[in-house]
Amino acid sequence: MVQSPRHYVISVMSRDHVGIIHEVSKVLQNLNGNIADVRQSVLCGYFTMILLASFPASVTRRDIERKLAEADAHSESVLEATVCEADQATMTLAAPRPENIYVLTASGVDRVGIVAVVSGFCEKHRINILDLSTAISNGDYVMILLVNLNQHVSINAVRTDLQCFAHETGLKVVLQHYDIFKAVNEINLPLR
Amino acid sequence: MLNSGEILNTVEMIQKENLDVRAVTMGISLLDCRRETVAASCQAIKAKIHKFAGNLVAVCEEVSTEYGIPVVNKRIAVTPVAHIGAGFDAAGFVEIAKALDEASSEVGVDFLGGFSADVANGMTPGDRELIAAIPPALNGTQKVCASVNVGSTRYGINMDAIALLGQTVKDLAAQSAAIGGFAAAKFVVFTNQPGDNPFMAGAIHGLGQNEIVINVGVSGPGVIARALERKIAQDSHQSLGLHDLAEEIKRTAFRVTRSGELIGRQVAKVLNVSFGVVDLSLAPTPKVGDSVGEIIQILGVDVIGAPGSTAIVALLNDAVKKGGMFASQSVGGLSGAFIPVCEDHALADAVRNDTLHLEKLEAMTSVCSVGLDMIAIPGSVDAATISAIIADEMAIGMINNKTTAVRLIPVPGKEAGDFVSFGGLFGESAIAPVLNAGQSARFIEFGGKIPAPIHSLRN
Repeated sequence: MVQSPRHYVISVMSRDHVGIIHEVSKVLQNLNGNIADVRQSVLCGYFTMILLASFPASVTRRDIERKLAEADAHSESVLEATVCEADQATMTLAAPRPENIYVLTASGVDRVGIVAVVSGFCEKHRINILDLSTAISNGDYVMILLVNLNQHVSINAVRTDLQCFAHETGLKVVLQHYDIFKAVNEINLPLR
Repeated sequence: MLNSGEILNTVEMIQKENLDVRAVTMGISLLDCRRETVAASCQAIKAKIHKFAGNLVAVCEEVSTEYGIPVVNKRIAVTPVAHIGAGFDAAGFVEIAKALDEASSEVGVDFLGGFSADVANGMTPGDRELIAAIPPALNGTQKVCASVNVGSTRYGINMDAIALLGQTVKDLAAQSAAIGGFAAAKFVVFTNQPGDNPFMAGAIHGLGQNEIVINVGVSGPGVIARALERKIAQDSHQSLGLHDLAEEIKRTAFRVTRSGELIGRQVAKVLNVSFGVVDLSLAPTPKVGDSVGEIIQILGVDVIGAPGSTAIVALLNDAVKKGGMFASQSVGGLSGAFIPVCEDHALADAVRNDTLHLEKLEAMTSVCSVGLDMIAIPGSVDAATISAIIADEMAIGMINNKTTAVRLIPVPGKEAGDFVSFGGLFGESAIAPVLNAGQSARFIEFGGKIPAPIHSLRN
């Protein structure tokens, strides 16, 4: 009987240089790993990547770690890799419903703890952050969060609390449905 | 995922530039509401409005909260009442207007349009009774708006109707003298009137439409004005051409239209009725910053009415349409920049400062929507002169294959240079002088028709 493949989530961080993706993907290929999904980003010269790959049942987590360590030894800069077996239950979680996705922007003077304060608000309201990035706009530090609003929470209540939050923290916060951003920036109209 | 620049620009547009949806208007066919008696017809009309528009305001609020975009006005347009009331007398038509007013108040909409008739190619007895009923109907109701289509490119201009309507405008104003002749602000005369326009006072649910539709009017001129200011500030080091500014208007119009379409379609979906059109008109409000006049100044004339004003309006109007056409699956209504004097503080200022006159406004209406709109004129101007002003404006529409309209308020007891305020969205203005008043009576007395224009040799 053929055993079903095992799924691993692998994250890699390194100082950016040419060839990192090839170094990592070659290791996975040699282990008969099939990459299902990848996110990769570079920040201030540092490369980071998270990927999901499936391997034959005979390949263990240790095998992958060992081969990645070998790649690290030959790499131009240190490759810090973490491997963990993907939880099937987590992987099959339903994608958030489009009607619950909002964009939250929070801007103000850059200071210690700004991200913690905003994410604290989200946690308190059971708002899951799907994507977070920051930018500098007109001298202000701006957090841009793609969030999934719990469908049992009323949007009115969140908006009211957000106003108090903005008042307390001195941040400018705007909560707006993601469909509006898509409608005004993309060719296709996001109809439900 | 959109990039951060796109997200931040959009947030700016919504927050600082007050992006909204100006009007969500439900079109309701009343063709099946005619009964044997006036009273029974009124009952049927009220029942139908309740049935379909009962939730309109609540649903607009709900969708607006969900998306975080305000829907400023919620309205109803009905089948031109002349079709419903044909055979009733003027008193019967007034009763219908009252029923419409009561139903509008009960469902909570701001205005209801459609106390209307189309007499472009001739007048039925029913049309005549409706026209006779307009002054008492509008003076006896709060929310009902009236309109009469007196001309079209296909049929020409009905000058008999225009002769009547000059007096209608005078009567409307005289009977509401205590409020500056305000009833005249709820009445508009059209040529080529569209049957799917969501904006007041000229909204109707024309023949040939679905039973019930949702039409939306996009956000006002403020968003376009701010986008232009930002573009000019950002690119001050470059030599910006008018084509660059037209492009900026086009892009902004795309975004504004998209928001309108998204909200309108969602409202229609929740109400389970069909979606009609997005009207691309830029409708100013008296609020500073939400003015077509400001755009004219931003685009380079120091005072509105100076040479160049007409060309600027032409550029603006065309660029808005180009952006909006691609953004929406179905564009309709009036779809052009409005220049309603009282409702636009920059235009009202220009009239007060004597830089903008009726004649220049008339020229501007030949390249934009929708006509001589919300202009306060001296109460002493005679009915024949008002009819002749209407005829001039209708001729522009007829010859140029476009919609034009006239909404004049001859303010009782006021003369040129005096001031009138209607409050709220209707704004305020100095009284504009009417040159050569009293010189057109012989023209109006001829009556009859101005024949439909030739459709070739177009120059």
